[in-house]
Amino acid sequence: MRRFGHRFGPAAAGLLIVGLLAACGSSADNTTTPAPSFAPPMPVGVKDPAPTPSAQAGGSTSCDVRHSSLRPEAGNPAGGPTLDKIKARGRLIVGVDQTTYQFGYRDAKTGQIIGFDTDIVRQIAKDLLGNPNAIQFRAITSAQRIPVVQNHEVDLVAHTMTINCDRLKQVDFSSVYFDAGQRVLVPSTSTATGIQDLGGKKVCAAEGSTSIVNIGKAPSHPIAVSVPDWADCLVLLQQGQVDAISTDDTILQGMAFQDSNLKLVGPKFTDEPYGIAVNKDANDLLRFVNGVLERIRSDGTWKAIYHQWLLGDIPEPPAAGYRD
Amino acid sequence: MALLTAPQPVRTPPAKRGAGRLQARARSTPGRLVVLMTVVLALALAAGVAWVIGATQRSSLADGVRSGSGRLAVQAQELYRALSDADATAASAFLSSGAEPADLRNRYQSDIAAATTALAAVSAGNSANEVAVQQISAQLPIYTGLVETARTYNRQGFPVGAAYLREASGLMRGELLPAAQRLYQQQSANLDDERGGAGALPWLALLFGVGLVVVLFWAQARLSRQTHRTINVGLLVATLLALVMVLWNGIAWVAVAAHLSAADRQGAAQVELLSKARIAALQARADEALTLVARGSGGEFEDDFKKKFGDLINPDGRSGLLNKARDAATDDDVRAKLDAAIKDVNSWSTVHGQLRKADDGGDYPGAVKLAIGSDQGSAASIFKRVDDSLGSAIRVTSATFDRQASAAADGLGGQTAGGIIITILLLAGVAVGYQQRIAEYR
Repeated sequence: MRRFGHRFGPAAAGLLIVGLLAACGSSADNTTTPAPSFAPPMPVGVKDPAPTPSAQAGGSTSCDVRHSSLRPEAGNPAGGPTLDKIKARGRLIVGVDQTTYQFGYRDAKTGQIIGFDTDIVRQIAKDLLGNPNAIQFRAITSAQRIPVVQNHEVDLVAHTMTINCDRLKQVDFSSVYFDAGQRVLVPSTSTATGIQDLGGKKVCAAEGSTSIVNIGKAPSHPIAVSVPDWADCLVLLQQGQVDAISTDDTILQGMAFQDSNLKLVGPKFTDEPYGIAVNKDANDLLRFVNGVLERIRSDGTWKAIYHQWLLGDIPEPPAAGYRD
Repeated sequence: MALLTAPQPVRTPPAKRGAGRLQARARSTPGRLVVLMTVVLALALAAGVAWVIGATQRSSLADGVRSGSGRLAVQAQELYRALSDADATAASAFLSSGAEPADLRNRYQSDIAAATTALAAVSAGNSANEVAVQQISAQLPIYTGLVETARTYNRQGFPVGAAYLREASGLMRGELLPAAQRLYQQQSANLDDERGGAGALPWLALLFGVGLVVVLFWAQARLSRQTHRTINVGLLVATLLALVMVLWNGIAWVAVAAHLSAADRQGAAQVELLSKARIAALQARADEALTLVARGSGGEFEDDFKKKFGDLINPDGRSGLLNKARDAATDDDVRAKLDAAIKDVNSWSTVHGQLRKADDGGDYPGAVKLAIGSDQGSAASIFKRVDDSLGSAIRVTSATFDRQASAAADGLGGQTAGGIIITILLLAGVAVGYQQRIAEYR
């Protein structure tokens, strides 16, 4: 036995040391292995940074957006090729937003799409078809607004849509039915007081909106982040993945209403007159829509709709202007 | 002739060392017997070791099929199913107006419970594919957080709730489901490997075993010629034991391979087909709901629905997953369940057509009612029946798999211990048999 101990003792001790080292090694591994990190979730279709089509947008400047539409005929007769087709179908097909609080959003209690924009088009359906609910709403993103009109997938688009010179080349717009302007929404703890303080910061807007172009053009050079729907911007801001949202004050107010930890800052730094988009080959429909807008401006309906959806003093409705 | 010199020092009188002397001694009768005995003992030892090691390995692989990779593959599949179902259920719940219905809420919660249970089982059972497990462990709580945020905002009537739900669904479809898919593929590959290994022909052990039997017969014949004794008890016992070794090994292999093949054919392969069908149905269901959630802009969801539905059931009545599973079914109960599922899926197709027609024709509330209504003819009720049929068919075939895999593992059980005992007895028989003869020359 002594001999055994003599021969195998060192080997056993060696094994023991190796075992201890292995044990130390593995326990050290356990404590130092860094937890793997996975990117935080983002809304589907987010682009960070967003390609800002500023060059393209800055191209055309000479047009009068407030006098770009067609004058309604006296008495606003509901006749014409497009109008007859709609009447034969029995319902208007309208592209709307289902994510923008107060302007076009899905009412979770009823599943209906409601808001300022949809109430305006209900007036059109009422005058044309005798039923304010004879409408098939189609929820679209900001980027889809022009294609769905051009492809005749919808009759109208009422989607907080700014009339501008670029868009006027692609679709027609009704007379201005709402005046908005771009501002900035930040967390209440933010020190930013406007777009000028957001240089190098991430600022969110919807893809295909005028807002994303304006963010790209801002002299302070913020980083534009684009998303498909406006509500996706609010998600990003709440999750701290962007520093601010910049778009029309109307849309921002709807977001601030959903989250009291946010504040609107800075003045309106753009002018965003909203119009209802119509296909360029549907002049009869365009004139009819303008006729309805004339009516609701004068009979108090516009102010009633404003009062129902928006806070504060009720302004005068925007004046109509036509190119003919 | 180096081999022949090895046993020389034993019980030979001291003599002048020289190649000639050694060869002469090896050529002497007792010397030859010692050499022969050594060769036979070495062969018997090799055969025994090959048998015991092979049986031990295959037994542990078969055990793995039964309780390891087989179960893990099922768990990984369950994880994928539960996650897909959570996604589909969350989308359906969003479609319902007002507070979400209690049954959808319960279904979502049991999906999350099932997913976390399956994830725990998979991560405890296998360290391979750690990244996928870590990813799901890290992101599933984030997913549920997003769904709850969506739920809270929905109850307040704020549209940002829908945006949270879309983000959650994007996380599920873009990250969690692909990770669960990778996990399943890994487990499935492990199962195939283990099944292949456990059912492999133990050719080395059989080769040694047959060789040993042949050599033992030859050795006995030679011994009885040389010694004029008909029977050597030691060698006879050894020969019988070698025969037992070969037969036991061979018969066990045939039985184990048969059970493993049955576990595959009647179990795993069918479970895989059924699970694929169930998941295709789930994803089609999620697409159906998401098309309505997108409200007119859900073209890509409808395209995906058509694709998933086409996977599920093909108009040719043969190549769809349900028909394939029906053809592969080996159990009457499973076949009946699949017949019911095929019938239901056909009526689902009709209802989906009506639903799309209603939505495209401007009757959105009608379409939503067809999608999530609680009457027997709604897509929701039909889908639930399909899912239940496939779920119980999967349970039946999983049980068959368990039974066959257990039988396979049992078939290999006892071979390690038996192999060691038989090998020792065999060596003893050979040694005793030869020693008797060698002793006669002293």
